[in-house]
Formats: sequence, structure tokens, C-alpha cells
Amino acid sequence: MTTTHEQGYRTDLVNMKAGQISREIFVNEEIYQQELERLFARVWLFVGHESQIPRPGDYFVSSMGEESVILCRDRVGKVHVFLNSCRHRGMKVCRYDDGNTPVFTCPYHGWSYGTDGKLVGVPYFREAYHQKLDKAQWGLVEVSQLCLYKGTVWASWDPSAPPFLEYLGDFVHYLDLTLDGWDGSDGGTEILGGIQKWRIPCNWKFPAENFCGDSYHNISHRSVDLVGIGPSGSGRRDMQERLMARRLQVSFYERGHQTGVYLFPKDRPTPPSYQHSPVVSEYFAHCEEERRRKRGEWARLIGSPGEIFPNTALHPRQPRTIAVWHPRGTHQTEVWRWYLVDSGAPPEVKDFLRDYYIRYSGPAGMTEQDDMENWNYAHAASRGTIARRYPYSYEQGLGFEVDNYEWQGLRIPGTVMDITEAKSSEHNLRNLYRRWAEFMEAESWDELAIWRIARAAE
Amino acid sequence: MTDPINVRLLEPGIRVVLEDGATAEIVSNPLDGVWVFGRYLTSPDEPGRVGSEEMIFAQDIVEITEQS
Repeated sequence: MTTTHEQGYRTDLVNMKAGQISREIFVNEEIYQQELERLFARVWLFVGHESQIPRPGDYFVSSMGEESVILCRDRVGKVHVFLNSCRHRGMKVCRYDDGNTPVFTCPYHGWSYGTDGKLVGVPYFREAYHQKLDKAQWGLVEVSQLCLYKGTVWASWDPSAPPFLEYLGDFVHYLDLTLDGWDGSDGGTEILGGIQKWRIPCNWKFPAENFCGDSYHNISHRSVDLVGIGPSGSGRRDMQERLMARRLQVSFYERGHQTGVYLFPKDRPTPPSYQHSPVVSEYFAHCEEERRRKRGEWARLIGSPGEIFPNTALHPRQPRTIAVWHPRGTHQTEVWRWYLVDSGAPPEVKDFLRDYYIRYSGPAGMTEQDDMENWNYAHAASRGTIARRYPYSYEQGLGFEVDNYEWQGLRIPGTVMDITEAKSSEHNLRNLYRRWAEFMEAESWDELAIWRIARAAE
Repeated sequence: MTDPINVRLLEPGIRVVLEDGATAEIVSNPLDGVWVFGRYLTSPDEPGRVGSEEMIFAQDIVEITEQS
């Protein structure tokens, strides 16, 4: 199938009016190639966490779209993100996952770069180049924009993309649910151990939509609930706090971000959690008290899975992780999962959480194994000649979302679907694909920064 | 032809002879097997380099004259 944006990403392939999406967007090779250019080269992407590169010379090899990048801290402490490709013939200049180095040297012909990206070593510079090569022009390719936010590192290749905080808009308050301390303090998280990386045979959008707030698939995790891997010994999470709250799905139409949240009733204490360990339970009870004191009414909100457009998944609470769905071809996704804890948490708490996190998430995590099984076979079954003629249904709750949602005195930013009674909705999933289609059609950020257009019109 | 020198083994303080006849003392080694940082001690072709610290390419090092 040949697909161009003239044919209508926003009408034929992603039909929001009908709540239907073509399987082509998951399996079509040409669409995938266009995604790399129109999406991954223009958005903001999560690259890593500052706690992974604390010292000058520290580096962590990450990925933006399909391409390898180096996140590093130079000799004077400045953070950079470079394309991991020698300017001479393209070989990777760093082939380790992480480490500390004064230089990145290409093993092919030996060009060498400082941790600030400058070309510092060229074999036979005097003899073969007669000192005429302008080294200043041949440094590593650096991202156009970089943002450090509460320990996390974000980058974009597009100089015309809005700054990261503008890209987030009010969604920053929901990102903070993952990045702020459990006691409500600003930031203060660190990465627990290393990160997990693994590959799944499915298009990257399958896991991306799953983490937008798809709670409809809870039936898939029934077996995990029966096993009882949760931190209090039953289910897979502490559920008491969720059962007393309003369940909301929140979308940002103009930006493509979305998340689930739980909103506690006013003046009700948070139920106890992490009861498998008295030390951990006491720690969280204390943190929760502090959080309520520091954050006031906003502390009535707790996080649930969400997604920063397009491929960074947030899992703010149980477990607390960030995942990136790296595209690796139309039919393959490489998942990288970071686990977060408060850097000041006692060692017993960190140990307890490590065990719980990997019991839940990652390639060996019981819940994530269920998910991978679904994505794997959903993708494979959608590739067939007959199968791809039939769209998927995203009609759940269509038309029932509201702006200016407020409950017991707390207004919730974004467009909200209250699913407390409805149980489930595909509101957030539709938002992901609405924004995806806009990116696939738009020629530039002049069209994509919808909020700027609206502001100018006012 | 002399055996190639494994530059990963060149520790700070070791002195080496370069292909153009210059001598240098190793200052630091990034252990990439391609480059070392050295301070020029002599440089018959370019006397102005003496005392300067530069990156030295592995294939330019022809002899180790003094161990640290």
C-alpha cells in the first residue's frame, strides 16, 4: 500500500469521528519510514537521567528513534547529547553501554572527539591533511535542543520545536507525579540499579497506547492478581487508595500527552500501603503525610500510567518507572525501562522496591509478560493481507469527555473522562493517535504548535 | 619492521619515540587503543612543540625508551 499524507492520516487512517483506526499504521513499512522523519526527528524524546552521569566524563549510550546517541557530561560538567556516529565514515564512536572517558574514539580510522563533542584527534592531521582540515566543522552532531528537568534528560533534533516545558504545557504537573519525591519535595529521584532493555516483535505504538491509560486490558493481568505480587501481599498493587478515589483519564489534545490519575475525596486520609514490610509501610505513611502538607489539595491526586507523546511511558506509583518504546523497524520495538526511587529513601526501602519493581515490570516482570504476549500476537495477526483490511475500534466512551473537570473543589487540567462508573474508556488512546496523525500530516511546527495559533487568534 | 606497540599499556610517565624522531612523555591514556596524551620532550622537525601536550596517534609511536 502506498500512503501519503495527501491521502489523509486524519481521515482515512485515523478516523476520530468514527473512532476507528486502520491497521496499516501499525504494519505498513512506508508509514513507518515517514514516522522516523515526521515524528521522531521533530518531537522531544527521553534520553536518560542525570544520576546515570554524575561525574565529568561519564556517559550513557541512549537512543533517539532508531539512532544511537551518547548522553555525556563533559570536563566542565555540562550535559550533552550527541549522535553516536563518526563524522568521517559514520562508525559508532562509543560501543559501550556506559562508562567514563576523556574521549570518544572511532575504531575505524581513529578520529577522536572530546566529551564536549569537539574533534580533537585526526590521524595524520599534519601529513595527510596538511593541517587544512577545519576540525571545528567536524565535531559530533549534537541535538538541537536539550532540557534537564528534575533529573531527567530530554532532547529534540528539531530546532523549531517549542522548548520542552512548552511542549509539555500543563501536563508537567502529571510528569511531576513521577519525578517528585514521595514526600512532595521537588525532584530528588535517582535510577535504581541499571536499566532493562529488551525487544518485542510488535510495532512501537502497541505498547505506547497500552500505557496511555488502557485499563480495559486489566483482565489480561487476572492471573497476576491471583498470584498476589503486590507490596501488601495481594493483587498486583495496593488497591485501597484506588477504590476510594475517582478514576480519571486526562488528555491534552493540543500536545498529545495523556495519563490516568486517581483523585481522592477531600479530607480523607490515604489508606496504608506496602504492608509486607513495616519499615517500608512506615516510610510511605510518613511521606504521604508530608506530601499532603506540602502540596495541599493537589496531593489528592495520585498518578497512574501515562504517556508523554510519542513514546515515553510514565508509571508513577506502583511500580514507579519510565519506559521508552524505541522503534526498531515496523515490526519490532526495543523497550528500555528505568526504575525510580527517592534518592534519600532508606536502603531497606530501595531494596524492597527493587524486588517489587522487577516482580511487576520488565522482561521478567509478571505483569509486563502479559502485556508483551498481547502486543506480540496482536501485531502478528494484524499483518495479514485479509486482517489489515479491517480497522480497529477505538469507540469506547467517544463523546463523553469533558473540559474543566472539577470534583470537590479541585479542578483537573486537561480534557477529562471520569471512568469511575464507566470502568473504562479509550479517550486517552484516541488522543495519542489524533496527535500522531497531526504530526504525520503537518509540514512544520508552525502547524503543530496549535496552542500558539489559538493564542495568536485571541 | 618492529612489533607494534600496545598503546593501552602505556602508563603516565613512560617515554616514547615517535615516527618523526620526536620524543614524548605519556601524560594520560584514555585506553581506547588509538590515542594517548603526551608531552613533547624533543621535536627535531618542529622545536616549537617541545613542552606542549598533544594527542599522539598509536601508529606514530615506534619505540618505548623509558618505563615509568
